[in-house]
Amino acid sequence: MNAAGNKPRILISKVGHDGHDRGAKVLATMLRDAGMEVIYLGAHQAPEAVIVTALQEDVDIVGISYLGGDHLKYTPKLLKLMKEKGLGARPLIVGGIIPRQDIPLLKEQGVAEVFVPGMPFSQIVDFINEKTSAK
Amino acid sequence: MSSNVDKMAEAYMQKVKRPMTWSGIPLEEEYRPEDLSGFDYSKSLGNAGTYPYTRGIHANMYRGRFWTTREVCGFGTPADSNKWLKFQINEGVGGLNVIFDLAGSMGLDSDHPAVEEDVGLGGCPFTSIQDMDELTADIPLDKVSFSLIAGDPMTLSAYVAVAQNRGIDISKLVGTIQNEPLHARWCAADARFYPLDLCYKQSTDIIEFCTRSIPKWTPVNINLYDLRETGINAVQEIAFGFSIAMAHLDAVIARGLSIDDFAKRFAFYCSCHIDLFEEVAKLRAARRMWARLIKEKYKAQNPQSWWFRFAVHTAGSSLTYQQPMNNIIRIAYEALAAVLGGAQSLHACSFDEPVALPTRDSQRLAVRTQQILAYETGVANVADPLGGSYYIETLTDKIEEEATKILDQIEEMGGAIGAIKSGWFENEINGASLRFQRQIENGDRILVGVNDFTIPPEEEPIVGTHQIPPESGPLQISNVKAFKASRDQSKVIEALRKVRAESQKGDKFNLMPVSIEALKAGATRAEIQGTIREVYGYPYDPLEVIEHPFPSIKE
Repeated sequence: MNAAGNKPRILISKVGHDGHDRGAKVLATMLRDAGMEVIYLGAHQAPEAVIVTALQEDVDIVGISYLGGDHLKYTPKLLKLMKEKGLGARPLIVGGIIPRQDIPLLKEQGVAEVFVPGMPFSQIVDFINEKTSAK
Repeated sequence: MSSNVDKMAEAYMQKVKRPMTWSGIPLEEEYRPEDLSGFDYSKSLGNAGTYPYTRGIHANMYRGRFWTTREVCGFGTPADSNKWLKFQINEGVGGLNVIFDLAGSMGLDSDHPAVEEDVGLGGCPFTSIQDMDELTADIPLDKVSFSLIAGDPMTLSAYVAVAQNRGIDISKLVGTIQNEPLHARWCAADARFYPLDLCYKQSTDIIEFCTRSIPKWTPVNINLYDLRETGINAVQEIAFGFSIAMAHLDAVIARGLSIDDFAKRFAFYCSCHIDLFEEVAKLRAARRMWARLIKEKYKAQNPQSWWFRFAVHTAGSSLTYQQPMNNIIRIAYEALAAVLGGAQSLHACSFDEPVALPTRDSQRLAVRTQQILAYETGVANVADPLGGSYYIETLTDKIEEEATKILDQIEEMGGAIGAIKSGWFENEINGASLRFQRQIENGDRILVGVNDFTIPPEEEPIVGTHQIPPESGPLQISNVKAFKASRDQSKVIEALRKVRAESQKGDKFNLMPVSIEALKAGATRAEIQGTIREVYGYPYDPLEVIEHPFPSIKE
């Protein structure tokens, strides 16, 4: 439950034109099964469209899946847009094919957490629950 | 210490927990002669090189020629990719294999405003004949086997145009184009980029053009690999892939070609996942099923039409981010399965693929993995070395039986196209992805180093250090802009006007020749494709961001 006593609302998307959407789809389904409200946008999304949707849907948290090596390019754009739209306080989480040496860079940019392949799914659920209940 | 000793005592007692294949086929403790009662050698197997080719398409298999060592590559700019190809040639590969970038995979030019961040990612960019010329610089196209992992006709058109400009007789070109836009609908792009009617028309154009003009070229490479990577199992891989292949066959036959004109040039791109015996049995079953299908259902007469020719890509999805060195072992087993299964060509993954682009070292290791298999292990000496094993033959039969059931089910839905339109394929794929993940989450599937035998993250080695040069995307974009500015605009307009006129001649009129000419005149892939798209009632730009740059051609 989030602070307002509702189910956590999370937006799951990819940005750019990498089409590897298996991870994002599986995560979206598993978060839904864990009782969350999931807004799933899928692949081929522009950063602007993702953040506008996040605003319209009033999500508690935004999750972006990267498998195209484009995480360091798109993340600052997304964070800047979130700030501009007044979503600066909502966490952005990132998952996918992220080399270990890039994880601290993403966190410096302002990403709340990075989930790499093979991490147990429960870690993601726990993290979202913790972040959204503390909102 | 004592807890470690307890753990060791436990480890000592560990045993097989899940006596079934990864596709869920239950297994006996042992296979015996009675499991093959009624087995008819000539009907089920035949010698290698004879129908139904279960044991291999050639009698002498690798004594005639090893499989082609062919590692997928492409990144940055065409010049970056060209350098990598030369590195591979130097390491002793037998063929080249280039994948194109995210912008190109959607048929967009590198200077499209919506793909700025995607240029040079996931493959080599290609916008114009100049890019293709740079990608293939110093490589004698009449002497190499070149595979183009592309789903649209412009890539092959540019390759042909470059060869012609170099004075090469194109009938001598050897290589492969994937030309499989259907799979892209669930593996790479959405319907905006690949409208069904147009993608079938153009796929058929390629097959027809190759059959007539580049007879040694493989004009379609049915991509079972990408399908498998979604999480479906070995049985589904055959069934889904064959249904797509049949849709292509039917489309080409509808164009007026006879099955024996083109079926011999069909090829497949299969996965080899981690269940070694199941993968070998899958490849054997596929060979037998294809031979029967093409001979009995499609009535092909030429034995070469019955051949299931295939490349293998070891399974990227079987590799792990954690303890990445373990992937070296996984890749070796999967490559072994490919060779035991009789593959014609092999991409062995690089062990750092789940982390980033391969480095020179990891790519070299992938090539060496293949060379050790070929030159040291002796596994290539004899055709179908596992043939006749009670287990392998039982498993081959079982996979054929199960795959046939699914194939029949898809046929009832109207084949692959019906199954795509109704959303059945997508549902099956999504269900499989989820099932795979749940098996890992609940420990039903052990991934060494991931959900068992783990180490603390701080002990994990740093790999995946090969970053795409950050300047290559902007460089490619500025090169494309400069190319567009320097062309003879009147020639481009004239060429595109002709593309438009020929596109209006109906879907059976082949647009490859006019596309080749337009590329030579300086038109780009997206300009040519956009011109064709408009005639077919689709927006010039699949993303509907830009307009046709030469609207005067419509007057």
